[in-house]
Parts: sequence; structure tokens; C-alpha cells
Amino acid sequence: MQSTSVKPNYGGDEVAALVLDFGSSSLRAGYAGDDTPKAIVSTSFGYTEEQAASNGDVPMGDESTPEGEQPQAPKAKAKLYIGQNGPSLWRSGMQVGNPMHDGLIQNFDAVPPLINHALAEVMRCNPAEHPVLVTEAAWNTPANRERMAEIMFEEFQVPAFYIANTGVLNAFAAGKGSALVIDIGQSTASVTPVVDGFVLRKGLQHCALPQLVHAHAKHLLTSPTSTRPGIQLIPHQLIANKTPVDVGVLPKYTLREDRIAGTTDSWRAWAEAHEVDEWIQSVGGCLVQGWNEVFAQQQGPRHYEFPTGYNNFFTGLERFAVGEQYFTHSTQLQASNPNLPKTIPALIMSAIGQTDLDLRQVLLGNVVLTGGGSLFAGFADRLATEMSRQFPHVKIHAPGNPTERRYGGWLGGSILASLGTFHQLWISREEWQEHGKAIVGQRCK
Amino acid sequence: MAASAADVRSILAIPEPPAAGSSQPAKKPQGTERAKKPEGIPRELYALIGPHVPTLTAQFTKPRLKQKPNLAGGGRVKWHVPPTWEWRPFKNGARSDGLRLSHWTKAGTDPETDYQFAKYNIQGTPYVYTHEEYTRLLDDSSWTKEETDYLFNLVREYDGRFYVVHDRYEYPNGPQRSLEDLKERYFGVCRRLIRNRPWIGDEASKKALLDSLTFDKDREVARKDYVASLEHRTPEQITEEDALYLELEKLKENERRFRKDRDELLRTLCGIESGLPDIQVDEDGLAGATFDTKKKKKGVAGSVEPQTPVTPSANTVIALPQPQPKKTSAKSAAYGASPATHLLHLEPTIVVDALHCIVRTEVEQTSSSTKAAHVPVHLRSYKIAQPKAALAPRVTQVLSELGISHSRLVMPTRDNLTKFAALIDAAQQLVEIKKAVDKHDQDIQTTKARLAALRGETVEDGDVPQTPMDVDEGAVDAEGEVDGRAQSVVSTRSVRSRKQGRRSMSVSSVDTTGGPNKRQKQR
Repeated sequence: MQSTSVKPNYGGDEVAALVLDFGSSSLRAGYAGDDTPKAIVSTSFGYTEEQAASNGDVPMGDESTPEGEQPQAPKAKAKLYIGQNGPSLWRSGMQVGNPMHDGLIQNFDAVPPLINHALAEVMRCNPAEHPVLVTEAAWNTPANRERMAEIMFEEFQVPAFYIANTGVLNAFAAGKGSALVIDIGQSTASVTPVVDGFVLRKGLQHCALPQLVHAHAKHLLTSPTSTRPGIQLIPHQLIANKTPVDVGVLPKYTLREDRIAGTTDSWRAWAEAHEVDEWIQSVGGCLVQGWNEVFAQQQGPRHYEFPTGYNNFFTGLERFAVGEQYFTHSTQLQASNPNLPKTIPALIMSAIGQTDLDLRQVLLGNVVLTGGGSLFAGFADRLATEMSRQFPHVKIHAPGNPTERRYGGWLGGSILASLGTFHQLWISREEWQEHGKAIVGQRCK
Repeated sequence: MAASAADVRSILAIPEPPAAGSSQPAKKPQGTERAKKPEGIPRELYALIGPHVPTLTAQFTKPRLKQKPNLAGGGRVKWHVPPTWEWRPFKNGARSDGLRLSHWTKAGTDPETDYQFAKYNIQGTPYVYTHEEYTRLLDDSSWTKEETDYLFNLVREYDGRFYVVHDRYEYPNGPQRSLEDLKERYFGVCRRLIRNRPWIGDEASKKALLDSLTFDKDREVARKDYVASLEHRTPEQITEEDALYLELEKLKENERRFRKDRDELLRTLCGIESGLPDIQVDEDGLAGATFDTKKKKKGVAGSVEPQTPVTPSANTVIALPQPQPKKTSAKSAAYGASPATHLLHLEPTIVVDALHCIVRTEVEQTSSSTKAAHVPVHLRSYKIAQPKAALAPRVTQVLSELGISHSRLVMPTRDNLTKFAALIDAAQQLVEIKKAVDKHDQDIQTTKARLAALRGETVEDGDVPQTPMDVDEGAVDAEGEVDGRAQSVVSTRSVRSRKQGRRSMSVSSVDTTGGPNKRQKQR
């Protein structure tokens, strides 16, 4: 691509770097310079323990802390199922785990297998030959990033490593150096002020709002109403057969009794969450102009069928109440739950309130909306109305391409790691061996 | 193909080619012969017929295409070869370690050349101070040396991005520092260091550097306060502000209009003595606007006194055209500077004008005195005589019958214009007279009719419609239509039909009464 004789016009110089982007729902991996990740692997993984699944609640890596040098140890005990044939394939006694919590990697034991799956099994490349850029949430702890560096250098033998912030990378993916990045993920919503490629940590805001939305939807489905009974969220893996039924009629299906005994609670929870997510994505929505019961009712019902065969029309009221959770909380909900996650407008307000007065105009003129959760129907429009009510001059950059929106962090990393001027920032193997963990904090600001 | 050329020749009894040595040398010429084989002829056929049948050659040769361009250069035709690239490790000069990453690069380039992106690795000049310097110059009661060191480290680390520095500033057990505090300390230290160190360059560059490092904390804080207060306005305040702004704009507009009117009045009354420039730049023009607003602001703030007319100054003189007699005298004075020439040119303007084809027109005195003062420069074609508005349609009709376009003169020379004006005048008169005649005719008719009625005689119906023209204003539709039919022009509306009717009349009338007009024109 580049040579000393060819004048670069965009500053790119590709060194075949790999970009790894950890998210709560999926791990994205691919070559720097591409526009979409090559491997998208579900972060949730299944595992079976060799012993009887009596202590299923204990995450498999709890005893690994003393023997940090040999992370292979728990692998001997637990068999992992990762990727396409991972948790979605029912296995007797299989638990489902997820290393991510609150946007951070909390359990590093499953991380090397996940990375190995994405790089070696999906992409079929040898990480020892490529420099690797990994992303992190803006509120990542120093210990966490150092652990990640250790994994990459010691286990994957990468020649060079860098860890970059998803907020900054999302801004880069939108072509901006300074931006207010609103990232709606699967488990966490965050608002990150980025100035000149640096996160302003004081203005950083994040909360588990998507989980609240999810819980609300689940409650809405499972609790009986005047017109319908509570809906059973039984995944298709547990259903032997079913017969079509009319709208609103109780479903006729038979369970796979042979599987009931071997189904673990964690797998069940994962599968139910999957059903709820499916429902939200196909039925849920946001009212663009704010909550209006009459208007919501006018939007009309939408039909949805569950794996059990139960199907019904969901009214506009139900559908839009789900999306409304992102923007307003009802007073009774606030009264009953003091630790309620902040709404998106509240997050933005507090993030902007923490930044310097001179920066506010810059940030509000460069709002970047990203994350798979922001693809929620009507979300971008609603955000635009909410923000234009609060602030006079707001410009929201929301990529229309869903791939770009979902993998904005990865895309930014792909751009960053293929820039010629970036290659001086890699932490090389030599530096890692010389300086140890301290180099990570020094280099990746 | 078993049959060789020799075999065929022997079959056809053609004599052997003369070079008949051993078989080894005989092959050589055959090879060269084959090389000369024209394109498009099958090899076997060529071997049979040999190179001696030109017609066949012509038939079989493919049409030759245009030769491909020689991109690679060089004397021989050599197709462009894409450069080869290779995956090669490179040394990045911006790195302190020996990391060799690889990239694609053109083969044949020097592997040890500087990495092309290394040059973008620019470090700012960090300011450092010794302990001795700190105690001597930089001591500050509110800052310890350790905290100052910490600040300088951060500024260097973030390349002077103070927003980020302030964000990351977490000095343990230190007081809360605002962004302005940090900036003041940093720039203050830098300035003191520069002032007290020996300076290599000239004074100007030192001053420029010091200027670039100035930071007025109080001013910045005040500015931020203003920004904050601006941001914390309530909606009511904002609407009030908008309303006030609109009010102010209205006042400005009023005053501007007033001033314009007053200037015009002054100009009308005093002429040149008013001292006002005659040709006014549009008040809304850029220069005028800024000038205006300044004045208006002053006016709003202080006393609203009417502006006294400016005394004529250099710039007003330029724009003022002098009245005709004065001008001539001035001209004569100018030309008559030397007495000798004065004798020769008794009436210098006339001579000069004739010489230079200058024609002086007298300023037309229009009826209203207000606009008499000045006639600006204009194109003559703008001044084409127009008929009176009331008579315009009829006059234009007359003109069009004459085949003259009333709105456009092909050659609006001075003579043509006067002639045209006279023509219009005549046409107007003609129309007016015609109108009067018609009116009288009509009167006569009606009185006759009334008289007849009084006498008890019945008047034949035919009399009234036979009037050559309908009454000017009170024309009845029916009458008009009758006229229109007479014209054999399909008329739908009374007005139109009336016009049509008039047309028939005017043609004849122009013929008869247009005599003087034509004569005038020919004159």
C-alpha cells in the first residue's frame, strides 16, 4: 500500500494488525484496515464441568487467582463451548458464562479461549505474527488492562500490543477527534466526552440502563394482564413439537422432557434473555416526540409469535413503553427503586455539566450515537428531539449503516491501527519485557 | 504434418532452393524464413505455398490494430510491468525500541530509509527547571515544587492539551485546582524562566514568545462567568432579549428612514449648499451599514440630536455636478488661461464641443420642483418619451399601425429621440382630438334623436348603430359588438371590441390628420 516513493494521501500504512473489540454481547475481531470485523463471536460461552454440576453457581474460574501463571488450569476442569455452536446448542449440564460485567472483563479465565477461538479458529491466523489492538471501556481499571496485556504477550506471543478506549475509537470511526460519544450496548449505556482523542474522565457517565429496559420488557411479557396470561419464555431447544394456534389462544406444545433435567439455571436464564431480546428487537420502539399514551395507542399493534407457538398482537402502549425506559422513568418506579440507572438525557446532562464551558459547544456539535442498542426503533430520532429541547445547537452523528453502528468501536480501532503515525505507539514485546506492566499505563493514556 | 516444403516442391516439380548444402545449414534459412511468415496464414499452408504468393498473403493477413502504447519506455516494445511489492519489515525512527513491524513496500527501495511517518512525531519544547532555579525564581506560596513538577509532567505528557491535563489532574493531598489555576501556574513559570534565562535570539522573538505565553487569569475567569451566565439564562430571559433586540432594530430602521428623508429634503431645498452628496450609496450597503450602526448606537446611548449637515469637504465636491452656466464659465476660464487662446476661441465650449462631438443637453425642467436639482448620468434609451398613462393604449395602437414599436428604439440617437417624442406628442393630440370629435358627434346624434322624439317622429333604428364610433366611456356592449363585426374580427369582450372599432377609425383618421405628423418626422 505504501512506499517511500508513493505519497500517502490518507496517512495509512497497514502492518496487518489485528483489532479485538470486547463487548457484552460479542467479541469482534478482524484485520486493521477492513471496514467490518472478520469474526464476530458471542461473548457468552457454554461450559460443562467435569465434576457433577452441584455447585453450578460458582463461576468456573474462582480458584484461579492463586495460580495466575497457569490460566490453563481451569480449562482442564471445564470444557468450553464457544462461538456458533456454543451456548445456543443445548447440552446436558451446560452452564452459560460471560466474562463481561458492567462493560468490563471481570473474569479473565475465559478470555484466552474466546480470543483463541476468534483468531485461530474463525480468522485462521496466528496472533504471534500480528500486532494486536484491544479495546477497553473508558472506565476500565489499570489492573484489568495490564492483565489483558499480559494475556496477549504471554499467551498469544504478540509482537506488539495496544489498548485503546472504545469512546475514543467510536469518535474516530465517526471521523472526529472531539465528540460526545453516546454508546448503548447490551448491558451498559455510556456517555463519553472525548477531546482531541482523549477521554475526559470527569465527564464520563455510564450505567446499566439497557439491563433495566430488558428487565422491564421481561416483566411486561411474563406478568399476566387483563387480556392475556403471563407468557412462558421457553426456548425452542426445549420444545419437542407444537401446533399452530390462533391469536391469543394458549399454546399447544410438548416439552422435551429428556432435556429438562439436564438444563442448568444459567443456560435457562441465557435462553430466556435471548427470547426477550428477540421480542424487543422485533416489536419494541421509541416514540419520537416523547411519551403520549394516546399517540402510542394509535401506532397500532404488532404481531409476534414465541417459540411455544403462542402468538398475540402487542399494542402500541406495550411496545413503546419499552423504549420509553431509555428516556424517562415513571415516578412510582423511581420511588420504589432508589438505585435506578440514570436515563439517557440525565446521563448526557451530567456528562456535559462536568465538562468545561468552552468545550460544551464543541461536544454538542459532535454527538456520536453508537452501539447496537442505539438501533432500537426510533431511538436516534427520539434522542435528537430530547437533545434539541435541552440544548440549542446539537448535531448528532448516527451512522445509518447498522454494521457501522454496532461495531463502531472495532471500526475506530481498525482505522487507528492502520495509520502510519500510530505505529510508534505500539507497546512492543521488548518494551513489555523491559518495563513490565507499568508501560501499559504510560503508553495507553 | 508429414509433408515438408521439400516434399511438396518435389511433387510440384519446383526446383530446390539454391542453398543446398548439408542438412544442418539448410535448416537455418528455413528458420529465418518462418520468422518472416506473415500473420494469419496457417503454418502448414505457409509451408506449402512459401513466401512467393503475395495475393494470398494479403488476403490472409489480419487487419492490424493500432499499436499499444509503450508505457514502460525504452526503445523496444515492452509492455508495462507493474511494480513488484514485497512484505518487508521496516524500522520506525519514531520508536525508541527495535520493534520491526512489516508492511508492503515497493521492491527495490532501500530498506533502511527513514520511515515516512516518523517525521510526524514532533515533540513540543518542554520547559524544565532546576531546583536552584525553582527556589530562586518560581517559588509560590500556593504551589509546592512537587506539584509544579507534576503539572509540568502532565502538560508534557498531554502535549499542552489543558482540558485533558485538567481532567487528569489528581495531585494527592493537593487543593482543588481549576483549569485557570493550572494554566496560570504553567504559563507564569514559563514566562519567568524565559525572562531570566539568557536569550540567544533577538528581542523581538523573545517578546513574541512571551506574548504567546501570556495568560490573564482574571480575564479568563470573567469570560467564563459571562459564558456561564449566558448559558444559564431562563427561557423568559431569552425571549425578552429577543424582543428587545427586535425593538432596537425597529428603532434603528426608523432613524435611518428619518435621516434619509431629512437628507433628501435638505438637498432639495439647498441644492449644493446643503453639502450632501447627491448620489447616495444604498444605506443598507456594507460600508453604510457599519457606519450607520455606529452612529445609531451613539444616538441610542446618548442624546438623539439631529445631525448637523456636514460642511462641504473634498469628497462632496467630487460628486457635485455644477449647474450649466457655471460650468461653461469654469470651462472658459480653464481654456482661457492664456490670453492668446482666449482671443481665438470666443466661444470656447462650442468649438471644443464640436471638436469632440460633445452635445450638451439642457436639464429638463419637470413640473415638480423637488427633483429639479439634479439629473444623474443616464443612458439616453432610458429617457424614451412615454405617452400619458391614460392615453397609452390608444397611442401605442396608433404607433403599431404605423409599424413603430413604442417601447424600443433601435437606434436611440438624440435626433431619433426628439422625433419620437414629437411623434408621441402628435399621436396623443390626435387621439384626444378624435375623442372630442366623437363626443360631439354623439352629442349631436342624441340631441337630434331627442329632437325627433319631441317632434313625435319615429326614428329608424338604423340611425343609432350607424354612429361611426361608440361613446368613449359609456359604450354599450351591443354597439361595440356591432362595430367589431364590422371589422370581421372576432371580439369577445366589450373593451376589446371597442378598441377594434376604434382601430378602423383611427386608420383613416391617421391618414388624413397625420399629415403634419409625417412631415414633422421627415423634417
